[in-house]
Amino acid sequence: MFDLTQVQRDPWSIFDGLESLQEDFNQALSGWGRQAPWYRRRMAFPPLNVWSSNDGVVIDAELPGTDTKDVDISVTGSELTLRGRLGDETPREGETVHRRERATGEFVRTLQLPFRANAADVTAAYKNGILRITVPRAEEDKPHKIFIEAG
Amino acid sequence: MNEDKHVQKAEEATLEQPRDTRTDTIFVPEVDITEDAESIYLRASVPGADRDAVDISVENNVLTLEAQSRAGTPPAGYELVGQEYGVGKFRRSFTLSDQVDVPGIKARVAHGLLELTIPKREEVKTRKIAIEA
Repeated sequence: MFDLTQVQRDPWSIFDGLESLQEDFNQALSGWGRQAPWYRRRMAFPPLNVWSSNDGVVIDAELPGTDTKDVDISVTGSELTLRGRLGDETPREGETVHRRERATGEFVRTLQLPFRANAADVTAAYKNGILRITVPRAEEDKPHKIFIEAG
Repeated sequence: MNEDKHVQKAEEATLEQPRDTRTDTIFVPEVDITEDAESIYLRASVPGADRDAVDISVENNVLTLEAQSRAGTPPAGYELVGQEYGVGKFRRSFTLSDQVDVPGIKARVAHGLLELTIPKREEVKTRKIAIEA
């Protein structure tokens, strides 16, 4: 059976990000920047910065001028979905539009986390247009460090 | 002799070109510009910048927006594993027409969005002319 409620997948995981970062380094070192640098390439919206540690993952999303009521974060297993709607930019009557560079419309991004997260533990804070999502890793899921005994 | 001078000039030009450095990368903010009978409205995305980190100036009819993003501080003990946007300074300039009221410009910063209202000078505002019977 097909799952009709399946969300739109974005082929992105923090590991893909690592690879593209490596590509950027290689490009920078080779000195032939034929491809636009990562910060000029138009990527999936919103652009994300991701940090990781044994304690979990922290995701920052650039969402300037967004109403947090219009943003929805959901976590199912090891999948985190960020969806939302940007402000209505329909011109008022008598208003002429000269430039429209800021993103509009709806967005959905799904991230594959490197561990199973507990949805109840996920926190999010919106400050100066940046949404920071903190996904802690469950204690029993944390990697164990094995101490080597002296022989 | 003349050739030497030429070379020197070229060198200067290269030195004066804007450079990206690790500590001060400059990004061009995305803007929306609209206009109605009263004013011109400029909205610029400056994610990570608060009110105190935004600087707006007008010199010789050139409006310059500058903002310093304070976002992106990595949480202690965490390492960056994916980066899709850079954190640094935003800067963009616009040439204003001489029909705007520079002292009347109003600015507001909220949620990483800078909103400017640039009023038109009284004499250039579109007016409805009543036709006498």
